Amino acid sequence: MNIMKNTKSKFLLCASALLFSFSSLASVAVIVNTANSAAIDEGDISRIFLGKVKKFSTGDKITIINLKFKQATRNEFEEKVLKKSASQVKAYWSKLMFSGKGKPPKELASDKDILAFVAANPGAIGYVAEGSVDSSVKVIKTF
Amino acid sequence: MHKHKVNDMNKNLIAFAVASSLITTSVQAEITFNGFASIVGGVTGNDESIYGYDDTFNFAPDSLLAIQASSDLGEGLSVTTQIIARGTDDWDPAFEWAYIAYEASDNLRILAGRQRIPFYMFSDFLDVSYAYPWIEPPVGVYSFNFSTFDGLGAMYNSSIGSFDSSIHVIYGGNTTPLPVGGVLQKSRLKNLTGIAWTLNRDWLTLRTAYFQADLFIEVPDFEPLIAGWTQAGFPEVGAGLKIEDDPGDFVELAFQIDYENILIIGEYSKVTVENTPLSDDENSYFIMAGYRFDNVLVHATYGWDEDSRDRITNGVPVIEPLLPLLIPTNAITDNSFVDASYVTVGLRWDFHDSAALKFEYTSYSDDLNSNNDAGLFRTALVTVF
Repeated sequence: MNIMKNTKSKFLLCASALLFSFSSLASVAVIVNTANSAAIDEGDISRIFLGKVKKFSTGDKITIINLKFKQATRNEFEEKVLKKSASQVKAYWSKLMFSGKGKPPKELASDKDILAFVAANPGAIGYVAEGSVDSSVKVIKTF
Repeated sequence: MHKHKVNDMNKNLIAFAVASSLITTSVQAEITFNGFASIVGGVTGNDESIYGYDDTFNFAPDSLLAIQASSDLGEGLSVTTQIIARGTDDWDPAFEWAYIAYEASDNLRILAGRQRIPFYMFSDFLDVSYAYPWIEPPVGVYSFNFSTFDGLGAMYNSSIGSFDSSIHVIYGGNTTPLPVGGVLQKSRLKNLTGIAWTLNRDWLTLRTAYFQADLFIEVPDFEPLIAGWTQAGFPEVGAGLKIEDDPGDFVELAFQIDYENILIIGEYSKVTVENTPLSDDENSYFIMAGYRFDNVLVHATYGWDEDSRDRITNGVPVIEPLLPLLIPTNAITDNSFVDASYVTVGLRWDFHDSAALKFEYTSYSDDLNSNNDAGLFRTALVTVF
């Protein structure tokens, strides 16, 4: 829930708006660690990223990794997979955070950071732009 | 409702929570701060007043600023405090939440300390206006002037078929002053016990809650009447006037449909307090419909309140010598009786990543006394950070 408070925020807003307008062309890949053998279907993905499921079908604890706010891939993911706008997602986590029920997922700044985290943590699940995917992670679904 | 000061806090629990968070500081030094704020201004029509507003533009009744500090102690334990400064309390900060949470398992979370009573669908985040459409949830249903308790809470999450189920059970009490005849009186809720159950699947949420408590309210103005009834040979009426260990219960039902751009919310609550001079059953309802146009949500709400009146003087003969007792005693019951409806139309504009602007107009009609009819315009800037 940390807000980016830098002088570039206006630039980022414009840039993300610009990227967002082309977003229908891009695809988002949901990724897990290569050692993760859990069965995860499309409905599970949304529930995992909303913090409603805490463990994979294999019994391993889930660690969700989110992309920092105001990035095109995040908007894309929230709209396509969570079926919510950025402010609806923010409102959702606010409800949980200010009522003692949960806290929003850890956020990382770039696709590169997310790939590195997921590759290093067996229980991690995240998403990156499809073009960023490399062999260090396993893609479970592309939206 | 939550517009009144929460005081007489359970100092032991707060001290415990604060002390624990200090201990954490020295060990891990990792405290997360978050917050939320609402700046709300409102004005009614000429010579009208409602929900704390009158015909002079005023920012005090609903404006608030909150800071939440939390820290993980490890091993599933965490400490959280939420301090809210409200315009209506001259911005004096008060502990709204102060608890230690324990994750007993992936499904079970236990809270000990000061926390919210989960009466209603929006109770858990009652003050976080960013998290719901209105500036505040409909006052007719969200009518209690208290929202917190000190005690134990347990939340259990599971799946039932394709639904996510969340069960929240609490036990505790509070000492928030309650209003009788418009004046806050020294009060106590004991053995507050209850359960709230929420089922959610995609766009559908269903909720029900039940609570009960023993109610104590000291009303000095009732004492002469109690003595009078006892002297007149009607001690049972005198006993009825005393609000002491009187059982009260609360039932709630709600649903929410959040389907693509359509939002529909309905909620019903019923408060029953037995053996008191206050109105017997209070039934409150609202239904809301909204539609999202990109970053703008427009919504309309209709709500109504219907109380049933059960005078404690039923069975007392209406004879001349008893009139000096009958008239004021019946007036207490009659004055606590509500029969009203309201329409609210509003707009929420998410103009920024973590802030929204809201506009609302509420038209309130009192079916018992049209002098209480009022129109209220409010605007709000709400944020989370």
